Amino acid sequence: MWEMIVSELTQAMQELARGFAHILPRIIVVVIMALVGWVAAYLLKVIVRSILRLIKFDKLSENAGASQLLTKAALPSATDLLCRFVFWVAWLGFILLGVQALGIVGLQEQIAKFFLFLPRLFAALLILFFGLLGATFLSRAALLAAVNANFPSPRLLSVSVRTIIIIFVLSMAFEEVGVAEQTVVVAFGIAFGAIMLGLAIAFGTGGKELAQQFLERKVLHGRKDEAKEDELSPL
Amino acid sequence: MAQESFLTDDFLGQLISVGEVDILVGVPTHNNAKTVGPIVETIQAGILKFFPRERAAIINADGGSRDGTPQLVESAAIGDAQSRSRQYALRTLRSITTEYASSPASGTALRTILAAAELLRAKACAVISPESTQITTDWLAALLRPAYADTFDLVLPTYRRHKFDGVLLTNLLYPMTRALYGLKIREPYALEYAFSGRLGSQFLAQNAWSEETARAGSEIQLTLASVTGDFRIGQTFLGTKKHVERRSADLVPAMRQTVGALFSSMGPNFSVWSGKTGSQPVPTTGTEQEFSLEPLRVNRKRLREMFSAGVAELASVFQSILSAPTLAELQRIAGLDEASFCYSGELWVKTVYEFAAAYHKSVISRDHIIQALAPLFRGRAFTFLTENRNGTAASVENNIEGLCVEFERMKPYLLKIWNGGE
Amino acid sequence: MPFFPSPLRDDGYDIADYYSVHSSYGTLEDFKKFLVSAHERQIKVIIEMVLNHTSDQHPWFQESRSSQDNPRRDWYVWRNTDTGYGDARIIFLDSEMSNWAWDTVSKSYYWHRFFNHQPDLNYDNPAVRDEMWNVMKFWLELGVDGFRLDAVPYLVEREGTNCENLPETHAIIKELRHKLDEQFPGKMLLAEANQWPADLRPYFADGDEFHMAFHFPLMPRMFMGVKLEDRKPITEILRQTPEIPASCQWCLFLRNHDELTLEMVNDVERAYMNDSYAQDKAMRLNLGIRRRLAPLLDNDRRRIELMNGMLMSLPGTPSIYYGDEIGMGDNINLGDRNGVRTPMQWSGGWNGGFSSADPEKLYAPLIQDPVYGSPAVNVLSQKRTQHSLLNWMARLIAVRKTAGAFGSGSIEFLYPGNQRILTYVRELGDQKILVVNNLSNAAQAVELDLRKYKGNILIEMFGRNIFPRVGDLPYLLTLGPYQFYWFRLRRI
Repeated sequence: MWEMIVSELTQAMQELARGFAHILPRIIVVVIMALVGWVAAYLLKVIVRSILRLIKFDKLSENAGASQLLTKAALPSATDLLCRFVFWVAWLGFILLGVQALGIVGLQEQIAKFFLFLPRLFAALLILFFGLLGATFLSRAALLAAVNANFPSPRLLSVSVRTIIIIFVLSMAFEEVGVAEQTVVVAFGIAFGAIMLGLAIAFGTGGKELAQQFLERKVLHGRKDEAKEDELSPL
Repeated sequence: MAQESFLTDDFLGQLISVGEVDILVGVPTHNNAKTVGPIVETIQAGILKFFPRERAAIINADGGSRDGTPQLVESAAIGDAQSRSRQYALRTLRSITTEYASSPASGTALRTILAAAELLRAKACAVISPESTQITTDWLAALLRPAYADTFDLVLPTYRRHKFDGVLLTNLLYPMTRALYGLKIREPYALEYAFSGRLGSQFLAQNAWSEETARAGSEIQLTLASVTGDFRIGQTFLGTKKHVERRSADLVPAMRQTVGALFSSMGPNFSVWSGKTGSQPVPTTGTEQEFSLEPLRVNRKRLREMFSAGVAELASVFQSILSAPTLAELQRIAGLDEASFCYSGELWVKTVYEFAAAYHKSVISRDHIIQALAPLFRGRAFTFLTENRNGTAASVENNIEGLCVEFERMKPYLLKIWNGGE
Repeated sequence: MPFFPSPLRDDGYDIADYYSVHSSYGTLEDFKKFLVSAHERQIKVIIEMVLNHTSDQHPWFQESRSSQDNPRRDWYVWRNTDTGYGDARIIFLDSEMSNWAWDTVSKSYYWHRFFNHQPDLNYDNPAVRDEMWNVMKFWLELGVDGFRLDAVPYLVEREGTNCENLPETHAIIKELRHKLDEQFPGKMLLAEANQWPADLRPYFADGDEFHMAFHFPLMPRMFMGVKLEDRKPITEILRQTPEIPASCQWCLFLRNHDELTLEMVNDVERAYMNDSYAQDKAMRLNLGIRRRLAPLLDNDRRRIELMNGMLMSLPGTPSIYYGDEIGMGDNINLGDRNGVRTPMQWSGGWNGGFSSADPEKLYAPLIQDPVYGSPAVNVLSQKRTQHSLLNWMARLIAVRKTAGAFGSGSIEFLYPGNQRILTYVRELGDQKILVVNNLSNAAQAVELDLRKYKGNILIEMFGRNIFPRVGDLPYLLTLGPYQFYWFRLRRI
């Protein structure tokens, strides 16, 4: 009986060894891919970093207001973040490629899906980034215009503009990534519509006289009211 | 690769017909049918009266007018057919028009006029704005004669103005241009001026005609080009400039044209202005410029209110532009009541210089920087009006001189913050 | 100029005998011989006739002044005071103070529009009119082909007028013309009347007064146009020139024996002409400039050619002043207008080939400077030189003769954008000639709107080479300094 156990064991060991020997090259391939990938990802990170430095990406993101968000979240700077992101994505990609070599069927499909997902993720991040940039710019423009035109509560206007644009951009980004697509779109529609309706009602009822005056001035080319300033010519 | 010329074939054909001229008068327009007719008639009369034997042409650079402005300018021509002019004309007077773009850009308009002047080898050119409704034939002669006689390369006007007219000019443009470039030019932004063909050609060749310069205020650029290029600048006293009513909404566009152009000129010309200290007077023919003192109804209160509102609402924007002490000081005076409110010359100079440095570094969009300066300027205007409410012409001139000296005195501060070190 | 016996105090315009020839020129027989020779060469001869006044040495005046009762008393205009006809202008401003002169013999004033030694004849007197017709008849019977009637506007004076161009004057001319047509058909009357075109028009009337008149106002404007390098003065005056009867013709000229008159220009133009052409004030006389063509144009051959080209192509009969065909110079140091009346330079030899007499005896000294003097400028050497001005002028005239449109055709101006180009089309029947002149010292490009002549080939008339055909696009031409083209438009 002892011999049987030994021979079964030996056979099992042999099979294991055989199986192992069969799979070993593939594992080695994966390891090699991982190493190569690491090197490639590192190089890529360095290249991306220099490109971002060149286009003053930090500055841009500061303008976008993204930097402030990142510091608040105790995250590293935008350039750093992006470089690390690129590094990890690249390395992961290489590893996955290697894993594909292992030939595990179900995994391949998932890996393929992952690679297909990447561009959309990237697009969404871009939308978010430029959207933030635009929001900051436009909200500041609105603020300055309102201040110079002596509108009441210019900051309210500025913040409203910024909020609306951010909501819009977020919706677009989520839709791009495919996260709760319909929900987001509908929610955005409702929110946006509500804001507009609210503004319309507010303006319509509360600002009735103001609207009237505005139209009169524009259409009838100015009757001057008593308190009109005698503004000096600056030049 | 051959560059696309910005002169149309048709315009070039007209220039070929005109041939060499001695005098060229450029009129840049955009929908100015209400004002340009009498101006062009005055130009015609001035040429016939003071330059009857000289070959002359009027060039209209139009930015896509839809109200018949170009036709009004063309009607000033005197050709073989009987002209409308009552004055006898010894020779033909050409008046040609070209549409340089479908939307106005004053830099491109000036460039068109300069190109025409160079191709026609004009000895002297004048540029008359279509808003220059007060121009007379004597003004035209006073501007053109020194350039034509080769006494000066750039002839700028001076006027007798109301002491409260042109506050942006007296409190920012004049003192700052003077401090930067070392010349006491009263009207660096002029509605009418003249220059020699030599300066025109140089300016045309050297200037980098980018998108930005195409739109920005070209009037001040020519002034700056002649300062930096060592050309002879002269001033000539024209006469009284009547007070023109403007709306408050005009301030920001005006600032864009003038202050924006001034600030953007500082970067490329750093080597020129960084070395200059003090300022030299500019030779002036005719009387020195002076102020008139008729009473003028002015709403000063609104100025101060807009200043305070601006300081409050734009704090986030100012943080990117101004230094902490300056901003704090502004916030402090914004809280003062009307009686004790005072936007001192020193603080104003600091403000302007910090804005200039921020503009240079593009800390935020440059156009936003200019817009942000507007409410602060209003505060300064309030102080200026208050201080000079009962002032005589001499005392007003003294105050302005004092401000100029302040600008000159604090120039090292500007140099310090220019490239960093804030 | 007149060749009648005369004290020569005004180059012969002060006539002392209408029926003879001044001894300096020869005899009446000499003149007859000259007429015959000229006619043999198909050359017609027009002589100067001064109707308005005579010399104070004329027997008529001698008689008229002798007493108040003399039969010829009324042949001149006598007054006891010098206040009549106050509105008449003084013509010789540089020498006369008044149009009245005091006669010591008859102790009264006599009327004179010109020099005081040239008393005006009184045309209100029928005897005067008859006698003057007899004078003309005398010469017509001898064989002359026409008269250049000097100073015609001034024949009659009336109180309260400027005594020029009066209806009575026109009546007299009509009378003369009528007699001329009746008794001597085919003979010509040419008016010398320095007036605006509109005022000249009446001298043509309905074709029953003068056949021709000098176009005085055009002449200074041609000089002005070339100096200004602008066609405006020329087109302006021609637009103001009225239509004349088909049997009449303008007489065009660049220079004549008088000063280049600046009477028919305004003050601005006169100042410009004086500053441009007569900086030396000695050149100015009587509101004019007393210089010849070549010196006026700085002896610039191209400009001389251009001016002659315009002279030959503008509507009218061209008239060339003697000596200008070889580019003679002037001598402003001779008094009055005599600087432009120096002896003709025929050769480089004795007296310039003008006369074999002693040089000191000549009526005026020859031009002697190295540029214009007779050794440099004379007919003989120019005949021998192929490209001389003389030969060029001969060629110009020959080409002109090939197209009747130059003489009798209509004129239509083109107005290209380049005002330095003067261009017009002369048309007569099927003949169409396009003339393009560059008034400027620099090469020019011009685009002509010739759509009306679309399909025509341009044939340059001097070289007879063909130029491109007129199409839909503007016709581009380039011209050298002061260059001109004459194109025949031909549709084949």
